[in-house]
Amino acid sequence: MSRRHELRTLLRGALRPPDNDSAFLLDVHRRAVPQERMARYDDSYPVDLVIVGAGAGGGTLAQRLARRGWKVVVLESGPFWDPDEDWVSDEAGSHRLYWTDERITGGSDPVELGKNNSGHGVGGSMVHYAGYCPRFHPSDFEVRSRDGVGEDWPIRYWDLKPHYERLELELPVAGDYWPWGDPHRYPHTPHPIAGGADAARDGAKKLGIEMRVGPVGITNGSFGNRPHCIYRGYCLQGCKVNAKASPLVTHIPDAIEHGAEIRAHCMVTEVVLDDASGQVTGVRYVSDGRERFQRADAVAVAGYSIETPRLLLNSTSRRFPHGLANNNDQVGRCVMVQGAPQVAGRFPDEMRMYKAPPPEICSEQFYETDEQRGFVRGFAIQTVGPLPIEHAQHIAGHGHWGPALREYMRDYNHWYTLGILAELLPQPENRVTVVSDVTDQNGIPVARMDYSQCENDRKNIAFGKQTIHDIFEAAGAQDFLITDRYAHLVGGCRMGSDPEQSVVDADQRCWDVPNLFIADGSVMPTQGSANPALTIMALASRLAERLELKRTGSDSAARRRRSRRPRRRAPIQAGGG
Amino acid sequence: MAARDFRNAEHLPNLRPDQQPASPEELPRQRNGVTPQMHGRYPDYNVLDESEHWDEITRRLVFERVESTPPIRFFTDAEARTLGMFCDLVMAQDREPKIAVLNMVDAKLFEGQLDGFRYADMPEDRETWRRLALGLDAAARQHGAGDFAGAATDVQMRVVDALAKGELRGEVWDEMPPAKTWKVVSRAILSAFYSHPWAWSEIGFGGPAYPRGYARLGAGQRENWEGAPAFETDPVKDTEQRGVQGT
Ligand SMILES: Cc1cc2nc3c(=O)[nH]c(=O)nc-3n(C[C@H](O)[C@H](O)[C@H](O)COP(=O)(O)OP(=O)(O)OC[C@H]3O[C@@H](n4cnc5c(N)ncnc54)[C@H](O)[C@@H]3O)c2cc1C
Ligand code: SF4
Repeated sequence: MSRRHELRTLLRGALRPPDNDSAFLLDVHRRAVPQERMARYDDSYPVDLVIVGAGAGGGTLAQRLARRGWKVVVLESGPFWDPDEDWVSDEAGSHRLYWTDERITGGSDPVELGKNNSGHGVGGSMVHYAGYCPRFHPSDFEVRSRDGVGEDWPIRYWDLKPHYERLELELPVAGDYWPWGDPHRYPHTPHPIAGGADAARDGAKKLGIEMRVGPVGITNGSFGNRPHCIYRGYCLQGCKVNAKASPLVTHIPDAIEHGAEIRAHCMVTEVVLDDASGQVTGVRYVSDGRERFQRADAVAVAGYSIETPRLLLNSTSRRFPHGLANNNDQVGRCVMVQGAPQVAGRFPDEMRMYKAPPPEICSEQFYETDEQRGFVRGFAIQTVGPLPIEHAQHIAGHGHWGPALREYMRDYNHWYTLGILAELLPQPENRVTVVSDVTDQNGIPVARMDYSQCENDRKNIAFGKQTIHDIFEAAGAQDFLITDRYAHLVGGCRMGSDPEQSVVDADQRCWDVPNLFIADGSVMPTQGSANPALTIMALASRLAERLELKRTGSDSAARRRRSRRPRRRAPIQAGGG
Repeated sequence: MAARDFRNAEHLPNLRPDQQPASPEELPRQRNGVTPQMHGRYPDYNVLDESEHWDEITRRLVFERVESTPPIRFFTDAEARTLGMFCDLVMAQDREPKIAVLNMVDAKLFEGQLDGFRYADMPEDRETWRRLALGLDAAARQHGAGDFAGAATDVQMRVVDALAKGELRGEVWDEMPPAKTWKVVSRAILSAFYSHPWAWSEIGFGGPAYPRGYARLGAGQRENWEGAPAFETDPVKDTEQRGVQGT
């Protein structure tokens, strides 16, 4: 850790993050992001970069490049959320936060999509993510060399480390000192934990398993104009308080302040390629039922690991008859989910697990390969705080219905829940394809995702499940409910050093299309046992740095100076949005 | 009624020889507000009493669930009869007051609200529900009944159990995998039932908590407004305090 970072850590939340004023640009009296001063670009104006999707990757990239003077338009198919008006403290009522258009899920171990997967709207899936913000371990970038499975990344942990550090200040991340992977501290102190997490931590300790508080992207103490968390437990329904980090509050305000336009309700249907030059010229999109075309010098796709491959596969041309950047049949392959079974434990005391943010404590003690376990790679242990509907589904997953299910639900307040995140390995046959005969409301073929586990995956999941069961047993739990599920979804357009085996290079540029970039979780070749959002943001942050480097030497130094305050000076035209 | 100590877990199905709970009739009657079938563990706790502390948008949404039951518009009368019985069995709603689960499911299907995915070997959700109605009747006929809604309760229970275990076969079920059907329909049923504030009162859930939040997070702690479980309430003192006639 650099000295500068150490110093900042000591000062905790007292300092502004460098080069990002988002938290200070928010309004004190309302939660919505101020948009009054947002730039509007005309469709025909060739912006420097159009980004598809305002989520973890897209939101971060927009802020970074807008800060560097780039003229950026982000097209987001969902709404520009106003937490006061649009979000509710209610599970069923949060349906609109999810990507609910039709998708087909197949394979021998199909993945439930919808609310458990991806979001929709400015902020992307982080609007309803739980808030865990761990880093990847250095080993995650070289699993092929170390363990003979998966793929090595074309970059290393150390390439992302400065971006991790910067993002942890921007979100900001709260948690205990982190001894696993590359040991580090967090800028905000750990949050208090609820009774259930306390019990689980004690149980783990008896087994020699260490659990630590955090790391969560939730402000502990106020941060700019973002208030302290109120421990209401609705993180997966969107944080009405603005305490939980998502690009909507961590990067979009600063991007807007520096001249980016975030254009909501715009569904991109095609990335358009000029067959003659082999370069992309912009994107076709649908807004208010009308088809439009945004010109751009470059395009970055950041639509999530299902929509990104879908968009490329649906963008066909003479050069790319099987989908853009897909001449080696790599687009959509090696999508990954983490095995995320949950075990609930029953305690004599009431635990009321609906209180406090669902992410509370975590262990990465089983993260790395241990040959004695009989499989490679590992898993993380984390708390989850299911609200009633989610817990009822957990009980049904265990096999109860009718009177037994009702009885278990009446006992809800006595339960607490742990989950694991098991690193499942990338496999080419786990892939996203498009189904030509099933289309969405715009007539665009929908995505199909096929998923099957391999032997190592099954062993990993079974071992992890047993471990959290043992923790609850040691903690004195009286009964257990166990359910299988998945979490997170990354990969599908992986980065690599071999064009035959990957979609983008180390700079996230498509091998065959020089001005097309992928800027979301789909570029991950492997996934570790860490929740992916922070790494997706770190990758986007690094991508911005690489893009800027490429420009330096041309007109970009002058350009940068010129556009320090681009909102007032850029040739912005009315009627673009 | 004898007070039960819920610190121990003997009442839980996994720990009972038949994997089934005792009759909920042994639980306290709800004294404040409504719970489904009027039993619950928090007889004096009505989550709706807290609604003045909720934000307006959430309050409106939750009250709509209590105040207006959507009419059946998607299902035919015959389907509604079969599936209404099915939903009642899945949620063990054997008498009034009931949460109108099927109406809530119907509204969702009628409005075309999707969950965001469909299994490759399943039809789309609307079609799944229609075929479920046919499949329940078919399964009931295998047990000698005329149809599902008219079958004896133990036949109905066996059919639902076989569906939940993915064990139904024949006719509809040779084309639509029962285990995945169960996943799809149970997801919708549970979402409807546990989105209803009557169910929240039954289980002692704190409900929407914005902007108030929670402060007492420790084991065995609760906010001063959260419900006390029944066993903590001495029935004699309680009836005296509240000036009501005990029995
Ligand atoms: C319930 C849940 C809990 C989670 N918990 C955690 C957690 O605790 N920690 C963690 O790290 N991660 C968590 N995640 C995962 C995390 O949120 C995602 O991995 C991450 O946000 C993905 O980032 P992304 O940039 O790839 O896509 P997203 O953030 O999903 O952004 C993609 C955006 O693109 C838009 N879009 C897609 N296609 C188009 C198109 N054609 N045109 C226009 N716009 C388009 C979408 O609407 C969306 O807003 C959780 C996810 C869920 C669902
Ligand atoms: S628990 Fe905290 S971070 Fe989560 S939704 Fe509530 S206020 Fe936001």
